[in-house]
Amino acid sequence: MRESRFPIVMLGLALLFLVGPFVVVFISAFSGDRTLAFPPSSFSLQWFAKVLTVEAFQASFVTSLWLGVLSTLLALLMGIPVAYALARYQVPGAEVIRVILTSPLILPALMVGLALLRYFVLIGNNSISIGLLIGHTALLLPYAVRVVSASLANLPRDIEDAAMSLGANRLQTFFRVVLPNIRGGVAAASVLAFITSFNQVPVSLFLTGPGVSTLPIQMLLYMEYTYDPTIAALSTLLILFSILFVLLTERLLGISKYV
Amino acid sequence: MNMSDFLSLENLTLAYAKGTAAVEGLHLGVAEGELVSLLGPSGCGKTTTMRAIAGLLVPRAGVVQLAGQNITHLPTNKRDIGMVFQSYALFPHLSTFENVAFGLRLRRVEKSELEHRVMEALRTVGLADFAERLPAQLSGGQQQRVALARAFVIRPRLLLLDEPLSNLDAKLRLEMRAELRRIQRELGITMLYVTHDQGEALALSDRIVIMRLGRIEQMGTPEEVYAKPKTSFVAHFMGWDNLYPLETIAGVVGLPASTGYTHASWRPEAVLTGSGDLQGRVLARTYQGESVEYLLESPFGSVKAVVAVEQAQWHEGQTLNFALPAEKAALLKG
Amino acid sequence: MLSQSPARLAAWILLSPALLFVAVFFLLPVVALLLESFHVGQTYGLNNYLAFFADDFNREVYWRTLWISLLVTLVSALVCYPAAYAVLKINPRWRGLIIGLIILPLMTSPVARTYTWLVVLGREGIVNKSLIETGLLQEPLRILFTEWAVFIGLLQLMMPLMLLSLVSAMENLPKDVVPAARSLGASEGQVFWRVILPLTREGLVVGGTLVFTGCVTAYVTPALLGGPRVTMLATLLYQKAGVTVDYAAAAVISVVMLLTTLLVNFLLRGRAAKTARAA
Repeated sequence: MRESRFPIVMLGLALLFLVGPFVVVFISAFSGDRTLAFPPSSFSLQWFAKVLTVEAFQASFVTSLWLGVLSTLLALLMGIPVAYALARYQVPGAEVIRVILTSPLILPALMVGLALLRYFVLIGNNSISIGLLIGHTALLLPYAVRVVSASLANLPRDIEDAAMSLGANRLQTFFRVVLPNIRGGVAAASVLAFITSFNQVPVSLFLTGPGVSTLPIQMLLYMEYTYDPTIAALSTLLILFSILFVLLTERLLGISKYV
Repeated sequence: MNMSDFLSLENLTLAYAKGTAAVEGLHLGVAEGELVSLLGPSGCGKTTTMRAIAGLLVPRAGVVQLAGQNITHLPTNKRDIGMVFQSYALFPHLSTFENVAFGLRLRRVEKSELEHRVMEALRTVGLADFAERLPAQLSGGQQQRVALARAFVIRPRLLLLDEPLSNLDAKLRLEMRAELRRIQRELGITMLYVTHDQGEALALSDRIVIMRLGRIEQMGTPEEVYAKPKTSFVAHFMGWDNLYPLETIAGVVGLPASTGYTHASWRPEAVLTGSGDLQGRVLARTYQGESVEYLLESPFGSVKAVVAVEQAQWHEGQTLNFALPAEKAALLKG
Repeated sequence: MLSQSPARLAAWILLSPALLFVAVFFLLPVVALLLESFHVGQTYGLNNYLAFFADDFNREVYWRTLWISLLVTLVSALVCYPAAYAVLKINPRWRGLIIGLIILPLMTSPVARTYTWLVVLGREGIVNKSLIETGLLQEPLRILFTEWAVFIGLLQLMMPLMLLSLVSAMENLPKDVVPAARSLGASEGQVFWRVILPLTREGLVVGGTLVFTGCVTAYVTPALLGGPRVTMLATLLYQKAGVTVDYAAAAVISVVMLLTTLLVNFLLRGRAAKTARAA
């Protein structure tokens, strides 16, 4: 039986299309030229050096890190109890609750950003940074609920009954038995949530302004003026960061199960 | 209700759970140090009853008393009741030692005593050398023993076991059966044992409670329920395979017809073959080593007979004489 | 299972922070925006919508968004079906690496990913340079800032979602159906058309929904690759709200966006349910 090579060829082309451009960007990042051309005529590290000197990138990088960490924490803090309640109790209207909590994924993110800007920041007269944090947290909540739910589904209920028969109350049961056994799922949810926040554009687009901006937004702004290889260098750094993250999380947690 | 009962269920009524009969007005008393089995087919309410005793579900009505205290609404973690689950329910993230120590740590048992008690419990179940292993690194039988040690190390007032042996292979099951009985004697612990396997219940129990559709069908010592079933259901469950309506069979074997009973039953070993005035044709002959089991076709229905292998001279299609001795019959109601 | 009332109380205590958060900070502003889109003077009506669609430019933007999104969905399905099948059949030793390569773009900043196309498709980019060097072209081809650039950018952005949906659908195929079909005499092509395709339709629907929704709402790709000449709904929305400060129009666009994605979700699911029932 001869197997057709067609599927393998398509897979190869698809992967080339997905990952190939990254290679081009890597190479351009090391360009020694003054403008963006490919292939470069000479090589240098000048653009990496320049990334570090752009002040807007530094400040927004720190903002993006903080925003990612805080919104991930908030989403987990609210999402883990939800996942637990939906897994362990027969909640009336569980389906409606699920829809409400996943609505941040269904609605266009631009709409979410716009709504928060218009009503929370402008009309509600709240700070734009809080608006940004809220927008990101709402967006991450569905991921937290979904990933933690998946890992709770694999946890037999009996072990909670066993813990209680041994004298643990509900809180002790959760912290001593449930949490240690879903920590893989919680870690995976954290990683996914952080990356989602760190890369987020549409929600941030409306909720950034003078003083508060995220790295992706600063990159977009920078590209309004120039396409020079600074962005290639920064993109290379971000892509390397992603590769490290993917490798690390896949090795530690098998994150591909949850994507 | 008997005042000396250590555990007593009075009028216990439980809502039905998925695929399980509702338990209605159950009365049961268990003496201190006794091992009582709840025996019945799946869905008869035995596990539901056990979960109510553990406090994992709250009854609709009725009272659960333990050592004279009403515990009906006490949370599970305050009941001091050990449990062994069919799935073992070991904590996957904790070593054997820590699994067994779990209950003691919650009770803030002081360190040296904790170590002493955990190791003693592990020695009792023969696992002292496996203290550092994780559950995933243990065989099914070993996991079973850890689950048992974890439950009794807290010195519970009562130990509940829910089909604890049903996930083990046949040989291991027999070993663990003897082991359980030994540990129960050694510790003098009161046990309630849920099973659907009548062999297990007969071998282990001081008393057997047979349940059907959420009610107690019969209870008594293993000898009583085995030898003197009161209903067709119990008779069938205990291997009384030849079961006939009394009106059909009374005249044939010389039993009084109207006595308030509905059925008569004989164990296959009680059927006399080779003599007697009944006739049956051999439908099937099954060799069983020491004996041969015959399935006979007779005018009032099929008959199962067990014959010692030396006397088993009949073959399929042959007709033979047999008898259903009236004195060996069990008379049943319902 | 616990008794009803304490268990119910516990469940609500666990659920309420998240529900309150989403309701107050998320649904409330969104509903307000929704209402604003119908707001006309002192009353409510469809005027804003009629005005939006009466404009030729807006209509053009809407149709462009629609057809590019549909095309991306279609092409990604055509490419990813055989590719996902290959992932399934490939030596398991390589599978982890391949899944990693599919996930990597998903984990990478969409700004960085879109920027790669500026390098590849630009006048001085690798595509134009190699076409000119091989003598196929005299003048550099204008790809950037056309609809095709947006199409290519979106295809690359969204393809991993389709690929992963299909891979997971194929992983969930009942064990041994493929060898069973082969043993009954089906060729590889017949196995695909008669066994794999019908059994993975759900994955196709999920993937298609994700891709289409992603395309309709994507901002970065049209903003960078489309430039001012190829406006899409998302970039138009940003212009209205961020540049001309016309919130009513921006609200209308966001609702149109939402309804378009919901409608396509609904149609795709309906089709899937119908074919499932027929099967």
